[in-house]
Amino acid sequence: MFLINCPYCGERDQSEFTAGGEAHIVRPKQPTELSDNQWAEFLFMRKNIKGVQFERWNHTHGCRKWFNMVRDTSNDKIYAVYKMGEKPPIK
Amino acid sequence: MLNFNTPIIGTKEYSEIKISEIEPILKINLRGKNRNFITKIGKELSIITPVDPNTSSSNERLNLLWLSPDEWFLYSNDKIDLKDANLLEDKLFNEISKPKLGSVTNISDHWIMINLNGAKVFELLSAGCPFNFNNFKNSKGTVTQTLLNHIDVIIHNKNFNDLNLFVRRSFSAHLWSWLNDSARFI
Amino acid sequence: MNKNLRIANNKFIDQTTRISFKFDGKTLYGFKGDTLASALLANNIHLVGRSFKYHRPRGIMGCGSEEPNAIVQVGNDASMTEPNSRATEIELYEGLEVSSQNCWPSVNFDVGAVNNFFSPLIPAAFYYKTFMWPTNFWKLYEFFIRKSAGLGKSPTEPDKDIYDHRYLHCEVLVVGGGISGIMAAKTAAKNSLNTVLIDDKNILGGTTLFQENECFKINNSYSNDWLKKEIESLKSLKNLTIKKRTSLAAYHSYNYLLARENLTDHLDLNEKKDKIRQRLWKIRAKKVIIATGAMERPLIFNNNDRPGIILSYSVKKYIDYYGVKCGQKVSLFTNNDTAYETAISLSNSGVSVNSVVDIRDKTNSLIVKQAEKLGIKIHWKSSVVNTNGYKKINSIEIMKLSDDGTAVVEKKIKEKCDCLGISGGWTPRVHLFTQSGGKLKFRDEGNVFLPDKTELDQISIGSCNGDFELDEVIKNSINLTNKFLKVSNNDYENLEIVSSKEIDKKNIWLLPSDKPFGKTKAFLDFQNDSTANDIKLALREGFKSIEHVKRYTTTGMATDQGKLSNMHALGIIAETTGVKIGKLGTTTFRPPYTPLTFGTIVGRNVGEFFDVIRKTPMHDWHIENKAEFENVGQWKRAWYYPINNENMHEAVQRESKAARDSAGILDASTLGKIDIQGSDSSEFLNRVYTNAWSKLDIGKCRYGLMLNEDGMVYDDGVTTRLSENHYLMTTTTGGAANVLSKLEDYLQTEWPELDVYLTSVTDHYGTVSICGPNSKKILSKVIPNLDLSNKEFPHMSFKNALIDNIRCRVMRISFTGEHSYEINIQSSFAKSVWEKCFEAGKEFNITPYGTETMHLLRAEKGFIIAGQDTDGTMTPVDLQMDWIISKKKYDFIGKRSLYRSDTIREDRKQLVGLLTEDPKEILEEGAQIVAEPNKQPIEMLGHVTSSYFSPNLNKSIAIAVVKNGKKLKGQKMFVPMRNKTINVTITDTVFLDKENKRLNA
Repeated sequence: MFLINCPYCGERDQSEFTAGGEAHIVRPKQPTELSDNQWAEFLFMRKNIKGVQFERWNHTHGCRKWFNMVRDTSNDKIYAVYKMGEKPPIK
Repeated sequence: MLNFNTPIIGTKEYSEIKISEIEPILKINLRGKNRNFITKIGKELSIITPVDPNTSSSNERLNLLWLSPDEWFLYSNDKIDLKDANLLEDKLFNEISKPKLGSVTNISDHWIMINLNGAKVFELLSAGCPFNFNNFKNSKGTVTQTLLNHIDVIIHNKNFNDLNLFVRRSFSAHLWSWLNDSARFI
Repeated sequence: MNKNLRIANNKFIDQTTRISFKFDGKTLYGFKGDTLASALLANNIHLVGRSFKYHRPRGIMGCGSEEPNAIVQVGNDASMTEPNSRATEIELYEGLEVSSQNCWPSVNFDVGAVNNFFSPLIPAAFYYKTFMWPTNFWKLYEFFIRKSAGLGKSPTEPDKDIYDHRYLHCEVLVVGGGISGIMAAKTAAKNSLNTVLIDDKNILGGTTLFQENECFKINNSYSNDWLKKEIESLKSLKNLTIKKRTSLAAYHSYNYLLARENLTDHLDLNEKKDKIRQRLWKIRAKKVIIATGAMERPLIFNNNDRPGIILSYSVKKYIDYYGVKCGQKVSLFTNNDTAYETAISLSNSGVSVNSVVDIRDKTNSLIVKQAEKLGIKIHWKSSVVNTNGYKKINSIEIMKLSDDGTAVVEKKIKEKCDCLGISGGWTPRVHLFTQSGGKLKFRDEGNVFLPDKTELDQISIGSCNGDFELDEVIKNSINLTNKFLKVSNNDYENLEIVSSKEIDKKNIWLLPSDKPFGKTKAFLDFQNDSTANDIKLALREGFKSIEHVKRYTTTGMATDQGKLSNMHALGIIAETTGVKIGKLGTTTFRPPYTPLTFGTIVGRNVGEFFDVIRKTPMHDWHIENKAEFENVGQWKRAWYYPINNENMHEAVQRESKAARDSAGILDASTLGKIDIQGSDSSEFLNRVYTNAWSKLDIGKCRYGLMLNEDGMVYDDGVTTRLSENHYLMTTTTGGAANVLSKLEDYLQTEWPELDVYLTSVTDHYGTVSICGPNSKKILSKVIPNLDLSNKEFPHMSFKNALIDNIRCRVMRISFTGEHSYEINIQSSFAKSVWEKCFEAGKEFNITPYGTETMHLLRAEKGFIIAGQDTDGTMTPVDLQMDWIISKKKYDFIGKRSLYRSDTIREDRKQLVGLLTEDPKEILEEGAQIVAEPNKQPIEMLGHVTSSYFSPNLNKSIAIAVVKNGKKLKGQKMFVPMRNKTINVTITDTVFLDKENKRLNA
């Protein structure tokens, strides 16, 4: 069970959150102009790294806000949490 | 006349814990993002809009709880007269939603208010709530949204060992039963 | 009780309170404060069980949680009996009943013991190797193996005990109440840190508590007396919570720990009632101090498993703490100084000590000198090569060790004894540290794995960190604690400590014997019966990794997770293969540290609280009217309302007919409802639904289909425009929470520029749906002043109204194809409105109907249920709902996916209707549809998604998905079932009222 520092509410138990997959995948502004392959790239392709990964999380049972997290998937260490629209504090 | 029904009726007392359903309570959800919205609700309600996370403001009539950076929960201190159930909602709707400052939604029956009172209320909550109440319980007016026995709740630290807990109506009978089952072991 | 085995004066056991208990049906007596193990030993009972594989007699070996042998079945009640309990951890209480495990017919005469004679034929992995072929015979083998294997008996009825869970948040958690833990907890609490100290025993103090020996003194007091004062001083500390009888089960990342507190296990039978038996503490600690101590190691030599062979420090605890003599003539066998402490204790208590057999050449530490002074005989540089005695040890055979320690030499000496205390050194309890993800390092001195790197805010102190001498334990523990907590506690600065130092160290993992290696039986894992031979065999057969050897030989895989055996297994592997132990690594220690009952894991989430239940405002009415309920997500929904002795089919047929013939009433309160406000609300709906919303007039309702980005149908529902910038969206019952979360996601991440606010109002409104040709008449009675004419209030529109001055919203929408209305009113009044409608409808025989009838009625009309007729692979085109996709809109969620090469395939599975050749034949939902039933292999073209007998059409109808179904209308298909093949025809999905005449009837 992680302890997640919600950027809005502070430290909370993991059970209050849901994970939402890889972060920083922007929905194309003009989907109609994309080829099948380009659209598939957005729709299906995810990195699923063993190591440091950028993820989306939702504080489902708290403020209901979505935010981003930098987490090492190999040891579950959370390096940073930051609000949507903000640049990741770590590369 | 239509009958008013609540899912739970009454009060239960245990050693150092009293659990009571308190209804009808007026509850309104307020959402908005800009400064105008925040000053407007402050003005309309004569209350300072709490902008710090997990806090609230209260006056003689009302409590305004911070839920998220763009969402607040308003509830009345006392039971309301059903005749006047829509007065404040209409006023706020006209002043806030209509001029496109934000949203005003009556949620009086979406939530049921349960008052928890007594020296052992936090022990009771620890039976099913992962939230850390250590600091929360020592400062009046704190607010948290969390899970209690897997059910979403809003908890308002009204006064020392005097909490108002809000649970969605459909879950309330179940949570009530769980609270009572837990309280007998405290 | 055998008086000769009890010491009269004892500080810890209340010898004035006698307790009776039953062991294998025989009534025995012990004292308050005894464990089952100490009480059995006081009754001269050593043999408590049979070993797993060879059914060899086994006795009590230790005094704590690492006990491998003395595991028993507690109780004989079918609901509360508990297998695999360690006798060393069971506190004696009045009424305790236990029995031996793994033996038949009795522990003293066990038929399975014949295995012992065939043991050369049962090597490691015997079962794997033998029962592999012939393959078909496994069923036969399994029957016999299951019968003879396994440990205790599971309870056969639900557990009557009550269990509980609690969350606990603290700044410092100290695990282990020995001398290190006590000092650490005191330091933390004195420095205003909110501290919790847990210990699995019923008394704090660890092993120091009964260390009363001249060689171990603190400030001129015996170490135990000094510690007692420290324990006493904890009582005055405000910030300290002490939990005894609480054992740490698991240590997860982020300092999240689970601990099991035993609340009633030690109470007399009649005091246990109506109390919580065990509580699982879910602890979140800022900092964790592990002070779990160390376990004494056995020695590995021939026949080292006989009853009466006990770890030496346990022998000491039984005499010093419980006042119980493990024997009258005790021998000791050691490779370190520990056994001398035991020898001195025994000697001081009047037990005759035959000798200490020590593998070391000679040593002169303080404690050894003290033993010598007491006249205790020592066999230096010697080893026990064999033990004798079937059900209990009666003698040992001693020989001198060769200089290199690989062989035994000279004359064999036989020594009579009734107990052999063994000590192979100490193993730090690093289990919790490794559970938490910490990495270990190996220290050659003492051959121990010690905590090394960790990502968490934790330290290990005391002997679990490799300090075994009293002065080191004290000094290092306090230094580490001060540094870790960033505090300074000077209480322990100038302590004067006397501590015997171990000077000489020697270790032989597998002790040599005078017999050929293959003829010896030197047990490593006592509970799983694996021997040193098994390990060597596995290595000969090519297994190299410790994890593989472990699984092949099952070493360390019993209920004790090899607490005593793992180090020796590693040592023997290292010696045999020539790899250093540090390089081999250890096996993974997994939670729980000691077994937990399922009850503890489940807590109070049983019975009524097994799952969360949601109820609608009308729930009580449904109960009063004998409804059967269906679970829809967490909701309890009225399923059907049987009258007299109707079964479900009969009730549904009646309800369906009534709804179409006159009037029906349905509780639709569970539908998700989202209040949408903001100046961009229309644009928002345009983006989330497939159809267009900008032109929807105020006061009108529209059905919408929501897709995932992959183009597949996700949810559906009717949305109403309440005013210019105000909508009320409904979602499916099951999809409500997810839809709201998904919409919030888009608003917060993709379209933050939109001025839209969503608020869930699902529970705020109760929804009463009345349908049927008489619904209008009924509504006009309930709300007399509302104009219900088709012109004023047409299908797909809404009106604000008042019922007895309470506001409500009435939508004229229909999921049944009938003329119908949905009244949304504050939940507090919903039951009352429902009753009012029911009363008003009585003259029209208004019939309450449940979800089953609702499903049937909508199927007659070919309306889909998202989640029943769709499964995440159906596009709107597949559903033949092309009409709902706006061609004009530039974008909406999932639009681009609707013309991917895969989604425009014509031969996708598409939604169709099915009619059976025999109108009385009802298809099974999920049944497969084929075109050529005789073809091999048979090609599945699709399956039935919904199927009912329609009372209004008087025939069976079904909805299905079929490959290329759109083009197959009128085609004959087959539904092969177990006993027959059903002939069907593909049809349109709308079976009733294709012209929608009934909507305005």
